[in-house]
Amino acid sequence: MKTFLSYEDSLTLFYALGAVLLPLLAFVVNCCMPGRRNKASGWISTGAILLSCVLSIIVFFNTWNKHTIHLQQQWFTIGYSKIYAGILLNNLSALMLLLVSVIALPVHIYSTAYMKEDGRYKRYFTWLSFFCFSMLALVVADNLVLFYSFWELVGFSSYLLIGFWFTKEKAIQANKKAFIMNRIGDVGLLIAILIIFAQYRTFDIVQLFGDGGLVGQSITKFGFWMGPIRGLPVVWQYIACGGIFLAVAAKSAQFPLHTWLPDAMEGPTSVSALIHAATMVAAGVFLLGRVYPLFTTGELDVMAVIGCFTAFMAATIALTQNDLKRILAYSTISQLGYMIMAMGIGAYASSLFHLVTHAFFKCLLFLVAGIVIHQMQHIKDDNNLDIDPQSITNMGGLRKKLPFTFIMAIIASLALIGLPLTSGYLSKDGILIQAFDWSDDKSWVFKLVPLGAVLTTWLTAFYVVRLIVKVFFGDLKLKKAHQHIDIHINDGGWQYKLPLILLAIACLFPLFSLNPLIYEQAWLFNGLTPTAHLERVNIYHTLIPAAVNILSLFIIYFGYAVYVKRKTHIFPQSGFLYKLSYNQWYFDEFYSRFIVKPVMMLSSVLSWFDNNIIDGFVNLLPKVVLLISKVAAWFDYYIIDGIIRLLVHIVESISNFVRGFQNGKIQYYLFSMLAIILALFIYLDLR
Amino acid sequence: MITLTDFLVVSVALFCIGLYMIVSKHNAIQILIGIELMLNAAILNLVAFGKYDKLNNGGQVFALFAIVLAAATTAVALAIILNVYRRYKTIDPGEVNRLKD
Repeated sequence: MKTFLSYEDSLTLFYALGAVLLPLLAFVVNCCMPGRRNKASGWISTGAILLSCVLSIIVFFNTWNKHTIHLQQQWFTIGYSKIYAGILLNNLSALMLLLVSVIALPVHIYSTAYMKEDGRYKRYFTWLSFFCFSMLALVVADNLVLFYSFWELVGFSSYLLIGFWFTKEKAIQANKKAFIMNRIGDVGLLIAILIIFAQYRTFDIVQLFGDGGLVGQSITKFGFWMGPIRGLPVVWQYIACGGIFLAVAAKSAQFPLHTWLPDAMEGPTSVSALIHAATMVAAGVFLLGRVYPLFTTGELDVMAVIGCFTAFMAATIALTQNDLKRILAYSTISQLGYMIMAMGIGAYASSLFHLVTHAFFKCLLFLVAGIVIHQMQHIKDDNNLDIDPQSITNMGGLRKKLPFTFIMAIIASLALIGLPLTSGYLSKDGILIQAFDWSDDKSWVFKLVPLGAVLTTWLTAFYVVRLIVKVFFGDLKLKKAHQHIDIHINDGGWQYKLPLILLAIACLFPLFSLNPLIYEQAWLFNGLTPTAHLERVNIYHTLIPAAVNILSLFIIYFGYAVYVKRKTHIFPQSGFLYKLSYNQWYFDEFYSRFIVKPVMMLSSVLSWFDNNIIDGFVNLLPKVVLLISKVAAWFDYYIIDGIIRLLVHIVESISNFVRGFQNGKIQYYLFSMLAIILALFIYLDLR
Repeated sequence: MITLTDFLVVSVALFCIGLYMIVSKHNAIQILIGIELMLNAAILNLVAFGKYDKLNNGGQVFALFAIVLAAATTAVALAIILNVYRRYKTIDPGEVNRLKD
């Protein structure tokens, strides 16, 4: 395919390429840099991502709501199919490019201060740059094979960063878990890609999923999945969609593959903010956005139900967790559930809109959590305490110690709850309204989806309030347990404050819409759905936001009342629901009992088989050979050698006998001669 | 009347004595004497059988030659014995066994 691009377009492409490759350059430079704690590595990575960010902004303004820019080169040929690789810039990829680099920039700045004390400072930035490269490349890849390779690289760099503190046993467990869970999804994606190739003979995303693309022309009838080129039994379409959904579920931590994300919080908090809250976990939603036309209505319904269930389940778990980062992790899973649900109900634009707004406020929340944990660690180190710096049961009253952090946390939390004037309101209420619209003409079972989503919103409000109150309000609980501790903590320098301010601005409505109450007017929303504009036809559009938010406000007040006014034991800490939530719905136990254990048992059986049967057989062989050779050796020694030795012995005894005559005594010789002659004569005589 | 048989009997006796001396004595001189005895037994035979050659007296002549030759060999043998004695300080042939393997 030969495409002639205008000068402006090729310049844009060049910028996009630069934005993708700069972090790779930083990665290579950091690899070659001497010194484990070389501070220059932090600035190289940050500089690279800053330039990337600037280039992405230029690319974004050149591409947004303009024509798609697509350039490809022939990559390789298999049989008669030529595989092309290239860059695809449309609204979706330009948006993601911008989002990833804009989120990565504050995280890099923050990390230069956050990881300052770490012994492996350079390695951290090397891998962080590597992740940024993989993620940026993932969003601009125009081809499923290329997409798949960067998908793997993203998973791999996430693995490296989760296990960054590889001396901690828990971190090793967590990164293994994350990697294995992601592998399950990767296998699904690979299967789906191969089926798509078998059906359409191309990997190209534009040809497959573009306007009037091959997937759009396919129809399903008479149990066959008919593409423009050929048809396959319809079961393959189900498998392909299932595979893609598996990949999405693994990467975006959806039920049933969500359990790796809370454990992934063992990595540095800045990594959690960038990878496990804002960007990488969004890759699954991004993949859905890319291959959206592949899904049929029925499959989208299933997706909506699973997304809704995940959102609800994760929110209930977040209610009772005590680990600060774990709460945020479950909140992330819950919000990702919203995005998947939105994809399922056809709210394509709202889903991606929520992805963008969520990235900002969740990243901000994680960075705040990082500061809090860092300061708790300081208290722990200064006073030689044996506490868990991440546990919110030790915190409280930090509002006065960390006023700046507190304000930032409030902004992010309001956005997460989705109160008006924040970005979260615009995106989340869009999803809720469209969920009600979607369920309108469906049976009552499907009504549960929007209801569950609304319920989740209220749960979200509650756990966020619980988190904020326990961390920032009341008195420091540590002070009660340990009377004589010194507390010298502060908000930190500009490297902490600047990223937080940048992200906090992005949590507010003006960046997305001039009207803080009506999501349809957000430019981002309109950019992603240029044709299907929803009319404000029915009552949902005013009723739902109002009802949801008024009740949210009540819940916020309720939570505040419960936790600040110290009626702490208003909730039973023992009931079934509490245990279910506290133990994270027993997913880990379930998996370890029903999947890990059988696999381990199978492997021990196989290992036994290997050790005893295969190795036994192999060990038997030498024994048999040894036995045979012993027999042969015996035969050789006693029979073959025996004959030779007998001969030798005979010859020897003869010669010894003959030697006896040669004793040097002349008379003896004479006597012998005489005897022989006598004998001869006697013989001749007797004959 | 002395018959041929009597001569032969004496000759055999002489021969056997010489032979016995050769294999049993520990003195080279005695062995040499044994050899002389055997030689003389042979000469006696020559002389005894000489009666069948009355014309030329071949037996007697041949005996004379044999005696001369025997004297010569005895001289040589004595010289050897002398040399052996010089080297080994003994004339027992059993002691002189450097030739054994």
